[in-house]
This record gives sequence, C-alpha cells and structure tokens, in this order.
Amino acid sequence: MTPGNGGPLIRVTRLSKHYSNGHGVIPVLRGVNLEVRPGEMVAVMGPSGSGKSTLLFILGLLQPASSGKYQFMGQDMLALSRAAQAEFRRRQVGFVFQNCDLFENSTVYENLEFPLVYAKVERQERPDRITAALERVNLAHRIHHPANHLSGGEKQRVAIARALVNEPLVILADEPTGHLDRTHGHMVMDHFEKVVAAGDTALIVVTHDPQVAERCSRIFSLEDGILNEN
Amino acid sequence: MRLGDLLRVSIRQLLRHRRRYWGVILAIAIGTAGFITIITMGRDLKKNFNRDLELLGKATLIRIYFEKRPSFGYQRFQPSTLEALRRLPGVSEASLVAQHPWVLGSWQGRDYHFALLGVDESFWKVNGLTPQGGKFFTSGDTNYSQRVCILGPELARTIFGREKVVGDQLAMQQELYTVTAVLNGAGLGDYAHFAFMPLSTAENRIQGISPANRIYLRCRTWEDVGKVAPLIPGAIQAVQPVQGLKVEVAWDHLRRVEAVAWWVELFIYSSIVATLILGGVGIWTVMMAAVRSRTREIGLKKAMGAEDQAIMAQFLAEAVCLSVAASLLGSALGFVSVEVTSLLIHSHPGQGLFLMCVLLGLLVAVGLGVAAGIYPSLRASRMEVVSAIRYE
Repeated sequence: MTPGNGGPLIRVTRLSKHYSNGHGVIPVLRGVNLEVRPGEMVAVMGPSGSGKSTLLFILGLLQPASSGKYQFMGQDMLALSRAAQAEFRRRQVGFVFQNCDLFENSTVYENLEFPLVYAKVERQERPDRITAALERVNLAHRIHHPANHLSGGEKQRVAIARALVNEPLVILADEPTGHLDRTHGHMVMDHFEKVVAAGDTALIVVTHDPQVAERCSRIFSLEDGILNEN
Repeated sequence: MRLGDLLRVSIRQLLRHRRRYWGVILAIAIGTAGFITIITMGRDLKKNFNRDLELLGKATLIRIYFEKRPSFGYQRFQPSTLEALRRLPGVSEASLVAQHPWVLGSWQGRDYHFALLGVDESFWKVNGLTPQGGKFFTSGDTNYSQRVCILGPELARTIFGREKVVGDQLAMQQELYTVTAVLNGAGLGDYAHFAFMPLSTAENRIQGISPANRIYLRCRTWEDVGKVAPLIPGAIQAVQPVQGLKVEVAWDHLRRVEAVAWWVELFIYSSIVATLILGGVGIWTVMMAAVRSRTREIGLKKAMGAEDQAIMAQFLAEAVCLSVAASLLGSALGFVSVEVTSLLIHSHPGQGLFLMCVLLGLLVAVGLGVAAGIYPSLRASRMEVVSAIRYE
C-alpha cells in the first residue's frame, strides 16, 4: 500500500461508536467525518471523555466502529480480518501513547526492535533502521541504554522513534506531551514536525493542549461525539 | 515472528525476571533430578535392596531338587544343567549341593551328629555367606578332594566349645578334616548348625551322601523370580530327564517383598509426580501473574502489529524455556545425585541410561511447560488491545 496521487490517506464517513451497558446505549462518536492527506498534521481536541482516544483507536484498528465507513487509501478498513488488522498496524501505523509505554526492562534498541520483529524484518537490517529512527529524534547515542534510565522527554522521543521505525504512513499520537513539561513537549512536537516534513507521513494527534494543536496544520474539536474542524 | 526471535525474546524475558521464577525452577529441577536418579539407579538400587532383603527372606532364592523316590532312583544334576540354569536371563548365580542329613563326627573322643553339605564354589555367594575367620575352599581343595571343612558357628561352639577353630581338625567317618573357616553372614539361619565340605570331597569320601541332587539358584532381583521359575524345567529338560523335579519358590516371602517394594516405589514416584505437578502449577501461576502484570505490554505489542499467535507463542515459549531451564538444572542435580548414589551403593549405571533419562526429563519438561503455559498464553493472546493498553 503506497499513498495515491493527491487522494486522501484516510477518509472517515459518518463513523459512529457507542457502548452498551446494563442501562442502555452510550454514544461516543456520532457521525464523524474526517479526511487526512499524506504529510498533514491534524490535531483533535476536546474535553476528557469526548471520544478523542476512541476515534484514534478506531483509526488504528485497535477498536471496532459501530457503524460508518473508514477507508485507508481507498481500502475499506472495517471489513478487515483480525490478521489483516494486525498487518495494517505493523505496516501503516505508528502509535505514540501518553505514558511513553516503553518496555521498561528492555534497552532502547530492544524497544525499537519489537516492531521490526513483528514485521519480520531481517535481523541484519535492524541496527541500521533502528539507528536511523533514533537519529530522527536525536537519540542515536542512547541506543543501548536501558529504557528505565531515560528521562520522561527521552522516553517519549524513543516512543516516537519506535512508531517511526517501520516507516508508517500515519502516526497516531494520543496525548504525546501529556506527561511532559512545556520544553520537552515542544521538543516532541519539533520532532513530529520534522518527521512529517520529511515525507508523506501524516500525523493525527489527540491533545488537550492548545499549544500542541497550534503546531498542526488542521485542528478539529470533538464534543459530544461530533467532530468539527476549527 | 521468527523462531530465532521468539526464543531470544523469551530467554531474555526469563533472565530479566529470573527472581520471580526461581521457586518454580527449583521445584521442577528437584522433580527431574529425582526422576533421573530413580530411573538411572533403579535397577542397582533394587539389587542392593534385594541383597539386603533376600538375606532376611530368601525371596530371590529358588530351590531345585529331585524328589527322593525309589521309582526314579537317585538322580543327580549334571554340571551342564547348572551351566544351562546360569545362562537363564535374570539368574545371578547357581550352586550344586549334595547332602548328608546325619553324618557322624568326633572330636577328643566325643561323637557328634550333624548335617553335612557338599558344596561348590558358588554356594557362599548364592546364600550370602561370608567366612568369620579363615577362608572358603580353594580350587585346589575342590579339584583334589582335599579333606577340609567349614563349620557353622553353632556347630563349632557345640563341638569345640568356641568359634575360633580355624586350623583345628575334626573327624568325620573316621577321617580327619581341617577346619578352614567358620561361617558368618545374614543368610546363616539353619546353616549355623551345618558342616560343609567341597562337593568333590563329599562325593568321594563320605558314605551315604546323596547325589548332587539339589541346586540353589539366586535371581538378580525379586522381579526376576517369577520370570525365571517357569523357565527352569524346560532348561533342565534340554539337558537331562526331569522326573521327580521340584522347583520351590518362597512365594509368600516374594509377595511380601514385592508388596513392600511396590509401596516404596509408589511413594517415590508419587513424590516425583507431586513435585512435577507442583512445578506445573507453579508455571501456571507465574505465567498467569506475568500475563496480568504485563497486560499493557501485551496491548502495546498488539498495537505494534503483533498477531494473536505471536503473543501466544511468546508466552508459551517463555513457559517452555522456564521448564527446560528447570529440567537442565534438574539434569545437573540428577547427575550429582547419580554419582553420589553410585558411590554409596558401589555400582555405576551405564551412560546411555542416564542420557536417555535426561532426554526423557527434557521431553517431560517441554510437555509440562506447554501444558501449564497454554491457558495463560491463550488468555494473553485473546486480550482486547484497548483494554490492555488502558490497564493500570
């Protein structure tokens, strides 16, 4: 799968998600429409519980939608098998989560190696790809450090490098600066900008922080399950 | 996920969390070491156990004789019969005996009547007898029908008033015999009252002695007795006629010994099985705990594109690596245990048997790892990504 000529990378149409509990149905996303092109930086803002992360998880095929349409480069993503969903996550998506979520008992190298292991990249290719990904976040010198010896900002940069190592078409970042101070938050966004500027990778970032959102080319807000572009 | 990566990641995981796995590893290692020791040394242990028990109950001794009936005459066993019996599988030793139930002996003018046995060189080993003082008959004594005898300690005391009588002379049927030894040993029993002389001497010099119509046959273990006994008439018949042949096995003793051995074996094997089950439960528990404590890790890996099978394979591989590591440690402990046991019982089993046990132990460990790891691994693989990522 490679980006088409000028067409959207992601096209979401009337996407809905609701949860059922014992008392009834709770709508989370209501008829969400969204288009993201290659190389775009998109911010999704909204209060807590507005469904931002849910939207991100649906886009990353970590969670199913209740109804609607989701196309990635023209392909219907909601019809994929479980194995095909895993394949999509391996090849096309890089995730960055709020809590850095590195494997604490592993080194930086080992953290970045996991996506390559799952993608069955040859072992001899891995060091170069890992070094290249770390260089993009200026952490190549930390390659063999234990993950739990890194600072919060460094951990998040390693998480970004890990999301990049398989050269995905889209990075889905869930509050990537949420646990960082302003300086480190800016640094992380600088790295995202660099990555997006360098190629066709798109970034969708869910955030509370207006300063983070301002760094993006398009800003959406999600309230009561309805997505609007600002 | 490639096999090489799977093993590398699993072994790394185990090494980095080794503290939480030590208890389980030790439990399985002890079970494996016990298994290896029992199987490798089992036969030799049984032999030793057998040697100690048989002397009390003569459970592995088979008595073969020709009935003394006028219609059959006095039959004697041929030397080739003895050889044929010695070749039977499970036979440790066989001895040919002639007897005189009431021979007249005298010392310092006083007469004594006692039972006399003419025996071959194997008799002592078959009956677990040792010389208290002096030595058993030499081949020269046997070949030249020398006038030598061995006395039971009670008989020595009755005649001489003491047990240290080696070198003294005792008259039997008007001929003087030199005492070469006084008997000792747990299997003494009635032999304490007997006199013994070389079979050739007895046959050539003692009047009224029976022909060599009695064979004592010692089996290697009590398990061999039941297999050897039915083969005896056929083995003898191939060499000589068998009219009036009697084969006597101490079945009651044997069954008691077998019952004791069965309970001991049951106890040992139950302990091993219990240890291995405990090890299995240990693996299950630590893997369940690992799945719980690594829920976010599982979610992250799925977010990176790991398929359900890859997650399952990883946890299963960790469980198998755990049990194989335990089994390797158990093999090392088993090796030490076998060496120590060998020294204690003065017997060394073959390397082949030990290696086979190690291999078997490894296979059991792999089976245990798979059996105990399969449910936790399934649980890990079926975890929903979002709930795993959001797990605190």
